[in-house]
Amino acid sequence: MLGRRWWVPWLWMLPALLLLATFLVYPGIDTFRRSVLDARSDGFVGLDNYQAIIENPNPLVADTHSALANNAMWLVLFTAVTVPLGLVLAVLTGRVRYEAAAKSAIFIPMAISFVAASVIWRFMLEFNPSVGTVNAVVTEFGGQPTAWLQDTGAPQTWLTERGPDEIPGPVQLNNLVLITVGVWMWTGFALVVLSAGLKGISTEMLEAARVDGANEWQIFRHIIVPTLRPVIVVVTVTLLINALKIFDLVWVITGGRFQTDVVATLFFKQSFINRDFGAGAALAVVLLLAVVPLMLLNIRRFQSEEAA
Amino acid sequence: MARVLFDHVTKRFGEVVAVNDLNLEVTDGEFLVLVGPSGCGKSTTLRMLAGLDAITEGSIYIGDRRVDNVPAKDRDLAMVFQSYALYPHMSVGDNIGFGLKLRGASKSQVRERVERAAETLGIEELLERKPRALSGGQRQRVALGRAIVREPEVFLLDEPLSNLDAKLRVQTRTEISKLHRRLGTTFVYVTHDQVEAMTMATRIAVLNLGLLQQVGPPQELYERPANVFVAGFIGSPSMNFFQPVVRSEGETLRLDMHGLSIEVPARWVPGLLPYDGRPIVLGVRPEHIHDPAYLPSGVLPASIRATVDVTELMGNETFLHLDREGTRFLARVDPRTQATPAQEAEVVIDVSRMHAFDPETEQRIEAQAAPAEASGTEAVS
Amino acid sequence: MSLGVPVPAREGRPALGYWFRATWARLPLHAAVIGFAVLWSVPTVALLISSFREPSAIASSGWWTATVDTLTLDNYRTVLDQRGMGRSFINSVLITLPATALVVLVASGAAYAFAWMPFRGRGLLFLVVVGLLVVPLQMTLIPVLRLYAAMTVNEELPLLGGNVFGINSFTGIWLAHAAYGMPFAIFLLRNFFSSLPRDLIEAAKLDGASEWQVFWRIVLPLSVPALAALGIFQFLWTWNDLLIALVLLGDPDLAPMTLRITNLVGSFGSSYQLLTAAAFISMALPLVVFFAFQRFFVQGILAGATKG
Repeated sequence: MLGRRWWVPWLWMLPALLLLATFLVYPGIDTFRRSVLDARSDGFVGLDNYQAIIENPNPLVADTHSALANNAMWLVLFTAVTVPLGLVLAVLTGRVRYEAAAKSAIFIPMAISFVAASVIWRFMLEFNPSVGTVNAVVTEFGGQPTAWLQDTGAPQTWLTERGPDEIPGPVQLNNLVLITVGVWMWTGFALVVLSAGLKGISTEMLEAARVDGANEWQIFRHIIVPTLRPVIVVVTVTLLINALKIFDLVWVITGGRFQTDVVATLFFKQSFINRDFGAGAALAVVLLLAVVPLMLLNIRRFQSEEAA
Repeated sequence: MARVLFDHVTKRFGEVVAVNDLNLEVTDGEFLVLVGPSGCGKSTTLRMLAGLDAITEGSIYIGDRRVDNVPAKDRDLAMVFQSYALYPHMSVGDNIGFGLKLRGASKSQVRERVERAAETLGIEELLERKPRALSGGQRQRVALGRAIVREPEVFLLDEPLSNLDAKLRVQTRTEISKLHRRLGTTFVYVTHDQVEAMTMATRIAVLNLGLLQQVGPPQELYERPANVFVAGFIGSPSMNFFQPVVRSEGETLRLDMHGLSIEVPARWVPGLLPYDGRPIVLGVRPEHIHDPAYLPSGVLPASIRATVDVTELMGNETFLHLDREGTRFLARVDPRTQATPAQEAEVVIDVSRMHAFDPETEQRIEAQAAPAEASGTEAVS
Repeated sequence: MSLGVPVPAREGRPALGYWFRATWARLPLHAAVIGFAVLWSVPTVALLISSFREPSAIASSGWWTATVDTLTLDNYRTVLDQRGMGRSFINSVLITLPATALVVLVASGAAYAFAWMPFRGRGLLFLVVVGLLVVPLQMTLIPVLRLYAAMTVNEELPLLGGNVFGINSFTGIWLAHAAYGMPFAIFLLRNFFSSLPRDLIEAAKLDGASEWQVFWRIVLPLSVPALAALGIFQFLWTWNDLLIALVLLGDPDLAPMTLRITNLVGSFGSSYQLLTAAAFISMALPLVVFFAFQRFFVQGILAGATKG
């Protein structure tokens, strides 16, 4: 624009950039530095902290392998369930007259704090089948009550009564339960965003497809999904990032006990409870590095949008 | 009120030259229409004048003020946008008065002038409404009102009629012309529609590929187009082009094409003499090709036989789409014509209204000013 | 359509039959939508009902056995009588409202520059800002804590209480929340702003508006849906935050609801009746905010998710 001094845009951005630099950029750099220092951030220890993550020398204090495996489970299962579920629900709720009410019911968990959610779910998952809703349903159908949040066995345990050792670590019941709670909380987000995108698809295109003889499944598969792809990508990337960074939900429900730690909770434990800043920082860096590919994906998508 | 001067103005977007060395003066009180196909640089020219795009080289003057680096808000121009660009969250009255308010006019002043502008445009009833409650024509008026209320030095209009339906467009065209006459302010109007240009402009500037092709009053552009582009662009339907070869025959010149030989009227001879033995571009407007049964007076006839592809009956006239040995052309003839599709018909070119262009440079080959004498022009099939 | 040919009048019976058939065909749809809505609501409803039950009833029988005449407000009374409960609600408001306003204000200025002021390196800088979206919040806590410790002003802030700045200060936590919300806020608003018609901005400039006037009188009023959506998001996140409060607000007098309830979880152990009531109190305001503004959600998020 004409007659605008070069510093004017910077002036507009200044408060935001200052905040970002202080609270995100500087701590990021500082964490890198700290990750190669010892527990008290005094002496240089090279890559020892990273080596400790790989070797897992102290699984009873900080089980890094379990945390990494759990986080991987979160990343895959949480996203793979939430996005399709949100998409299907967006299509379904868009076809009923009580759409707003149905969407609100599914969105409400989004508005609840993790602390409140933890109260809700501890209550739902209470072992005593005359109090805990889930176990009440299970016993009603002839099953045995299960300690959902403590059971580190594979989900087969209560179905087939096979021992927990038959299935490797990350597929442990309590972790799956936590992921289910995550799905419960985030489906509303996927639903609302995807449904908003759905409203943007021209009805003429859908009508044209119907005139061409497409059935509802074909319309969903060949019209809705490809057209919604950008929105689906946004939702997927957002959920992936959330799954990687997942902290609050695990922290307030199990506190990472019973081998439900994820990288972020373990980081928190190491830094604030075990007071080993170096080990904590290394975990944070691992987390950040894991997020980088997602960030690049985001950037690529953004650039193609800019070019369009 | 002020004149506007473009002095060697060039605009580049990266590698692309949008406007190339434009020299153009718009005199005070003039209604100048910038016309050309899309991408010709006309909108960029207007946006540079408005201060919305920076100029790469050259200078622009409004009045005597050089405005190259003056921001849009300080140029004292008003602009009517193609999309109207009405502020959706403000009432019509606030839309019109926004510029005055920003310039620090008092509340009563703003109200008075808004009401006066609304009265001029016949939209007093709409002042309380929001833009979304208006019809297209009403929005267009509000956009005009927003411009005139400011009493700017120069009015800029960017395709203001293109979102109106055909009937409203004709009506608004005359209203804008009237408005210009009443205000007496300089108007710079951008359009791709040569009919708007012809009907409204005091002068037209034709642009193509970033280059100014010709500037002049509408009639001049119609009668003496400077090059093939202007000839084809101005006038509706477009001019027909043929590629005859010039051949001298004693004192006279003939144009040979498709087995036809047309004698060149005397006043064209000096200009065409250098092209002896070479092809030229011959331009004939559809309205200068007639049905021999209904020849108007003063025509210098050269007859052609051609196959009729399609006839389009317009009521007051008929368009004949003709084909002679693969060369297609259009004639605009008397509606009583007997020509029928898929048959041969004879039509008559009025050679006195022909245009000739250099095939290389595409520039106009001038004829002498003297009216052509009705000497023997004939065509041999 | 040819005139004069009588069109058979549609009779009531076939239409009714059609309606029945259509409804039958849609039965699975309704079942699915209602089923999901109910499934998603059960945990929250369970919490709500339990919060009105006697402690002995909660401990011995499921919420689904409750009858209206056994419900009581005692739990809410007990919770609200807890020392500091009322104060923590006020603290939550004092933390959330200014922090939300700060994010919206600062981000909209930066987003305006990103959307409407071309400058060298704009695209890259925007990518960096959006990229910061993936920085794990926990990672920043130690450096920020150290920074705050160094900058803490140990004087009481007038009116609100707490320190003037740094640890245990409202100002400190406002800035922290604002910074953590900034990448998303800038992303959302920039996308919405740049979807506004260019003509409007230019028309305002020709009308004599300065950059500030364009921003204040044109861009902001037209962006209410996006601003509201952002405001709601930010409100929910800040209100529901536990982690930042945990780290930056050690002083129990400044603790927000989430922190207070977490402490309750610790001190009451399995006294569900009080936890349920407390959780519901903490959910009340976010739910009100969500339902009051939910119509903005769709419009605002859509603009953020798909570039207009």
